[in-house]
Amino acid sequence: MATQLKPTDRRVLYLYGVTQSQPAKPLRLMGVDLNSPVEAIECEGVICWISRVSADEFEGSLTKNMENLDWLSSASVAHQRAVGGIAQHADILPARFGTVFLYENSLRAHVREHAREIEKNFKRVKGAQEWGIKIFQIASPVAPVPKAGTGREYLQAKAALLSLKKPGGIPEPELAEFQDALNGVAEASAPAGRISGGQRGLLFQASLLVKRTNRSRLESVLKRFSRKWAGSRRIEWSGPWPPYSFVSQDSQSL
Amino acid sequence: MSAPGTIVFADTNEGDQLALLDILDHVLNQGVILRGNLVISLAGVDLVYVGLDVILTSIETAMRHINATSRVTEKTS
Repeated sequence: MATQLKPTDRRVLYLYGVTQSQPAKPLRLMGVDLNSPVEAIECEGVICWISRVSADEFEGSLTKNMENLDWLSSASVAHQRAVGGIAQHADILPARFGTVFLYENSLRAHVREHAREIEKNFKRVKGAQEWGIKIFQIASPVAPVPKAGTGREYLQAKAALLSLKKPGGIPEPELAEFQDALNGVAEASAPAGRISGGQRGLLFQASLLVKRTNRSRLESVLKRFSRKWAGSRRIEWSGPWPPYSFVSQDSQSL
Repeated sequence: MSAPGTIVFADTNEGDQLALLDILDHVLNQGVILRGNLVISLAGVDLVYVGLDVILTSIETAMRHINATSRVTEKTS
């Protein structure tokens, strides 16, 4: 990562996403490899945002690199900075992380083939952003460590405590009320958290697609429920994210 | 953290500290419109995601064990 590329190194096109137009001023964004800048290229009536990355790093060794947590962390943070930077200026259809084309021609051909789907997706995400919502159980005050004569006794006591603290989930009527309130301000919701699903105390999570004009309504819903759940549950929300989770599901089979 | 009405907001545009887990969650979510069919296979990448979930969950579990063990050590030493 971030090793200087030699002019002779073979490059491929890493795609960040597609927008309908260019921002008024050119954007200065660093690419996913922290090496080459993000470029906007005219592409069959839309703008494709790409950077030219090492073919070896992103083509030959991509699968191996994705299993390397350091590489994946750095690349996904850089990917988010680039896509997020573009999204501040235009509605973007984000490409999946790791989308690479060998030549500009193959990218153009792909965009041409999927023109109708791209148009449909622009309608869907128009003026909207993605938000991540999580609800955590607030840990009860730490119980005093039981007096234990031996390590074995300590672990037995500890095990008993842990089983008591297992999160119980959110009762159905309350969860339904929360989801109804969210649906009232969101255009769509999607299941989230394939990665962070194992976080301790996590009771619920979702990604929402929310119009920019509805952001303050979302915020008031979350504040209302955080007051209601004071002392028992904590709400964490993050965003605005580019609409990663809301581009066409059909296109997964492309 | 546990004041009445706890709500935590991380703004992606304000350079707030974002949890790596949250970034991975969104960046690696299904966000796919175009796929470089020349390069990656969807199935292969999905397998990596499954593995990653296990790794990150294991890190948390391992940390918990380390904490528990260090407390046992304090008690018994």
